[in-house]
Amino acid sequence: MSRLLVVAGKGGVGKTTVTAVMARASADSGLRVLVVTLDSRTGLSELLGGRATDGTTYDGTTIHTGLGPNGTGSIHLRTITASEALQDYLATQGLARLAKRLVASGVVGVVSSAAPGIDDLLVLGKIKHLVGLTGPNGEHDLILVDAPAAGHAISFLQSPRAMATTIRGGPLRSQAIEVQQMLTDPDKCRVLMVTLPETTPVNEMLETTESLRESVGVSFAPVVVNNVDVAVDMEALVAAGESTARGSLPTDDLMRAAEYRAERSALHRTTIERVGQISHDVITLPHVATASMDHDDVVVLADLVRGASPKRSRAKRPS
Amino acid sequence: MSVSDFANVLDGSRVVVCCGSGGVGKTTTAAALAIAAARRGRRVVLITIDPAKRLADALGVDSLSNDPAPVRLDGGAQLWAMMLDARGTFDAVIRTQARNEAQAERILNNPFYANIASRLSGSQEYMAAEKLFDLSNDDRFDLVVVDTPPTREALDFLEAPQKLMNFLDHRVYRWLMTPARGGLKVLNIAAQPILRTIGRVIGADVLADAIDFFQAFEGIEPGFVRRAGAVQSLLRSDQCRFVVVSSARRDTVDEAVYFTNRLSERDVTVAGLVLNRLQPSFGEGSAHSALSAARAAHKAGDETLAALQENLAHVRRVAEAEQAVIAPLVDRVRGAAVARIHQRATDVHDLDTIDALGREIIG
Repeated sequence: MSRLLVVAGKGGVGKTTVTAVMARASADSGLRVLVVTLDSRTGLSELLGGRATDGTTYDGTTIHTGLGPNGTGSIHLRTITASEALQDYLATQGLARLAKRLVASGVVGVVSSAAPGIDDLLVLGKIKHLVGLTGPNGEHDLILVDAPAAGHAISFLQSPRAMATTIRGGPLRSQAIEVQQMLTDPDKCRVLMVTLPETTPVNEMLETTESLRESVGVSFAPVVVNNVDVAVDMEALVAAGESTARGSLPTDDLMRAAEYRAERSALHRTTIERVGQISHDVITLPHVATASMDHDDVVVLADLVRGASPKRSRAKRPS
Repeated sequence: MSVSDFANVLDGSRVVVCCGSGGVGKTTTAAALAIAAARRGRRVVLITIDPAKRLADALGVDSLSNDPAPVRLDGGAQLWAMMLDARGTFDAVIRTQARNEAQAERILNNPFYANIASRLSGSQEYMAAEKLFDLSNDDRFDLVVVDTPPTREALDFLEAPQKLMNFLDHRVYRWLMTPARGGLKVLNIAAQPILRTIGRVIGADVLADAIDFFQAFEGIEPGFVRRAGAVQSLLRSDQCRFVVVSSARRDTVDEAVYFTNRLSERDVTVAGLVLNRLQPSFGEGSAHSALSAARAAHKAGDETLAALQENLAHVRRVAEAEQAVIAPLVDRVRGAAVARIHQRATDVHDLDTIDALGREIIG
């Protein structure tokens, strides 16, 4: 298993929810999980069962301990911003005092625009440092990163390679090369793509995957298809309604609702089959009958992920 | 509030800006509004930002051209569409504003400029605003419909011109550019501890490019500032209407409410709200009543009816949850045109379905 999973997908596919579900599922299996977000306002903390303020700092908050069969599982959430990563980096270079001045004067913003990508590289550099601390003797077993949305995820992960070309020498260049090595080592890092069971999101997921494979050279974890309507045998129900009761039904809404779900679930099935033809492993997460996911939903979905083997396209429906 | 108010939004403005978070169908909605306006006899140009490939194909836009191309519509409707090329737009602005060809070339060939034009946060938003301004003054068109980049801070679009100004005006660079005694611009990088550190971190040559860029840029700022001012006053005038696009999920609704509040802080009201991908509720009854009916059918031994009622209860439960989530947003934009668009069985990506969506929004 890789030590770093980067969760990526287009806006609106439920990337943050999937990050929370995968973190919970891993911790419930006994792993010590570190979740890294680049933006403290995504609601990730609440999805993980913490308070809104948990995990919003650079050092972060431990949200759960004692999870899993032997109580070894834990979840720690931290927010890594470019300016804090820069301060951290400068401190390791023996420039802690100057770092404070740079941040206070607002120079950091200009510095990072002087060579766009430097901010992404600094964040990835910090993550690389944390990956080095994983393992039996380290603090964590697995690091999950809630990556920026698709287009930004590509430039985020491209930044080390780009920086290695832009910067011709110095410590940051070595940093870029080391981060790039980590990203392309499947034992260390994989990207987990999230998509929805519909044509356009799947097309876009495939485009992003191809682009990341070519321009960064990353390996991939299973694709997660989120929000799948797993209504079982809706077609059979429609047929039963047609043949026996249509004329005597109290209202036509019953048949229209059944036809609607039959159509949706059929579309989802064929889309998932299409993803399955391209990706080796597919994990499906069922649609939860709510407009706002909460921690309880995350726990239910995490149980499904642990119970479901990859490529299983029909998960049990949460009640 | 009748849905036909969307017709007023389209008929009575020069610019329509579609905003919302990523994944809510913003680009498709912008295209649908543009077609609907063209069907109403207006000469419309649509600016899209990074559309999905099939939508781009349907509209006949590609990233190679920074100019609007006509979209083939029946019935004499006049619509043009283009995909924003942020870099190409930025280049054009530099060429217009530069004092002479040599200055333009010096800027355009600077590696640091390439970074700013393509990657500086806010530059895509600013260029969308630039293009919008440009096309709103183009005699070929009566109305510009623009999709906005999927930024977390949707208001970036409105503030982008100012942000870019702030960047170009940053005091660190001001300080760097201050002529040394005797009027000579002496930039001794090694003499400044901060510069030394920056140079050490990002590489001395990158820093040199940056300094060269700001030197080359000197004298252009006033033109940029005037232009940015004109763009901003158009965006804040009553000729410009903002349409918020959202789905019925808590996070996108929260974002839309936040955006609406930020707009009203600037005395800009939302003229329209498009709620996409709503789950249909199938009839007037509640999820609760369908569930009771399911129990009764089960008792009576009619399993097919029971299963049908249970399914109806399920879809209504989702629809009811969605109604609860969107209620505060609908309340917040009171007075605006509101269109509720149901989830379709298939994706919207060809001209016919976009056309149909446009008709549904107009009502």
